[in-house]
Amino acid sequence: MYSNIISCFNSSVVFTLLAIGIAFVIMTGEIDVSIGSTMGLAAAIAGTLAQQNSSWFLMILYSVILGIVVGIINGFGVSVLGVPSLIFTLGTMGIIRGLVYVYSRGRTVENFAGDFTNFGSRTLFGDITFYYIIVVLIVIAAHLILTRTRSGKYFIAVGDNCGGANLIGIPVIRTKIIAYIMCGIFAAVSGVAFASKYGQVNIVAGAGYEMSAIAACVLGGISLSGGLGSIAGAAIGAVIMSAISRLLVFIGISTDYDNAIKGIMLITIIVADSLIQRHSIESARRERLAARASAVRKGGFES
Amino acid sequence: MKSDYIKGLKKFISKWEFVLFLILVAEFIIFGGVNFEKFMRIESIFSSINNYISIGIISLFVTFVMITGGIDIQASSIVGLTSIIIGVLWSDVGLNIWLAVILAIITAGLCGTLSGFLIAYFNVQPMVVTLGGSFLYSGVALLISSLSKTPAYQGISGFPAKNEFGDFVSFRALGKTVLFNKVPIQLVIYAVLIIICYLLLHKSKYGRKVFLVGVNQQAAELSGINSRKIIMSTYTLTGIGAAIAGVLLTANVDSAKYNLGSTFTLSIITAVVLGGTLSTGGKGNIIGTAVAAIIICIMRYGLPLCFGISIQNVDLPIGIMLVVVVAGRAILSNSKVLAFLKHKNKTTR
Repeated sequence: MYSNIISCFNSSVVFTLLAIGIAFVIMTGEIDVSIGSTMGLAAAIAGTLAQQNSSWFLMILYSVILGIVVGIINGFGVSVLGVPSLIFTLGTMGIIRGLVYVYSRGRTVENFAGDFTNFGSRTLFGDITFYYIIVVLIVIAAHLILTRTRSGKYFIAVGDNCGGANLIGIPVIRTKIIAYIMCGIFAAVSGVAFASKYGQVNIVAGAGYEMSAIAACVLGGISLSGGLGSIAGAAIGAVIMSAISRLLVFIGISTDYDNAIKGIMLITIIVADSLIQRHSIESARRERLAARASAVRKGGFES
Repeated sequence: MKSDYIKGLKKFISKWEFVLFLILVAEFIIFGGVNFEKFMRIESIFSSINNYISIGIISLFVTFVMITGGIDIQASSIVGLTSIIIGVLWSDVGLNIWLAVILAIITAGLCGTLSGFLIAYFNVQPMVVTLGGSFLYSGVALLISSLSKTPAYQGISGFPAKNEFGDFVSFRALGKTVLFNKVPIQLVIYAVLIIICYLLLHKSKYGRKVFLVGVNQQAAELSGINSRKIIMSTYTLTGIGAAIAGVLLTANVDSAKYNLGSTFTLSIITAVVLGGTLSTGGKGNIIGTAVAAIIICIMRYGLPLCFGISIQNVDLPIGIMLVVVVAGRAILSNSKVLAFLKHKNKTTR
């Protein structure tokens, strides 16, 4: 029982990293569907490095560079050129997925040397893997940066009211580009974790992961219209997403239900969210009207 | 009189469809130049368009959605859903194949309507609902395929095909009939659908309403249009379009599988955007979409044939095309760039 719960957390490492990354972008009110492909490319690169028994430092360095490059391209297209983010990142998704095919020549990258794959299952404190500890630290750090620092609060501000943020002097374009760069870096680093965890990288690695990461953010309470939510929420959403399939096995239902349940959850949550928001807007409006009406009745309302 | 003619020509040249047409011609010249014998065979060009006809059909209907300002990324999973419903109803339930087809199309229409309902009446972002829908419908397709005796990965095959004379009749006729020894029947169906969509979008009252909702939903509402109903109906149309694509694809490959068409999303959106539809809504064109879809089909056919690129790599050029088109259009419509270009023109003069 206990070990099952722990393994839910352990198996969510890749999703959590992806979800944290895309949370930055979603908070600014944009979207990035290219992260699955970025992850696949980073995993393929890390895999070939692992075949040559290279150092960890090199893998992380390469993936961070890859993430920065992808992030700058996406951020430029979306914020400077003003292309709708879904369409632009859909394009880069296709390009990067194509690069994965070109890079790995259509073959699966496997047979990693050294203890690259062993590291993925190394544990600390009982059953919790080393990876998950790192992820938890990253979540805490990112959460603190977003809620405590000045430039961290820019992300929420830009997502909440882009024009307003611009007027009070927040660099909107720069903030959005930084959000995309963060997203790219996290996606690429999650690729290294992916390669180390599964021990092989095929050409479609990470396809569809962007959808799960977005769903994780929505589950974690991040509004897709931007300006609302937290990194911790995204991380919890990611754990839920990866726990669903594990739970199904546990209850004894076939994993065929996986996608259907995820879809129903996503739709239910987003509809409920929209209904609650509409209700709160409506009640706030009523309150304002009532206050104004009572002011008029008292005769104290002059205009 | 003559100047009118020239004006009309100029107007046509400055239109986006003309650029698309040039791209299509360029494709033929490049691919034909590299490998004339292999590329320039009418049969294989037709049959290649045939293979990717689903992209063309679905993108026609997604154009409606994009004009209202929405987006639909669930259509590709509805293709698989339609396919598996036909397969299971026919082979395991034992229904008549045509009844199965009709039921599958109705189901797909209802799936589209459900998403459209949530988008229109609950003001949820279309992107998220159709994302959830793509999970949901592909999941349901997988579940339905597990009802069948045939394993999911194998696909249900052996649809009614030939009569005693060896001609393709019944269901497979939809996938295999070739008219005049050259033209596959799917192309004819595609052409008919293009005409229907063109009339619906550009010549009918409904089409005007779709455009008005896309330009300004508030204004549309004020002028007495039930804008929510219009938005919902566009998603219903996409569901039906995806179902038609699913039926044709199933008939063509003779296999009902839950994941048919699951990789189409990028190509569909590319076709619609390349066709000149604004993703923010209010502007779009069926002919543009149709030509853009054919451009993508020819690309998918020509690149592997002439340059030896494997079929899986084709995502790369299609992605580049999408990015270049949207970025290029954004640059050109940017007021600063326009001002710069005008200024430059003046100074050079």
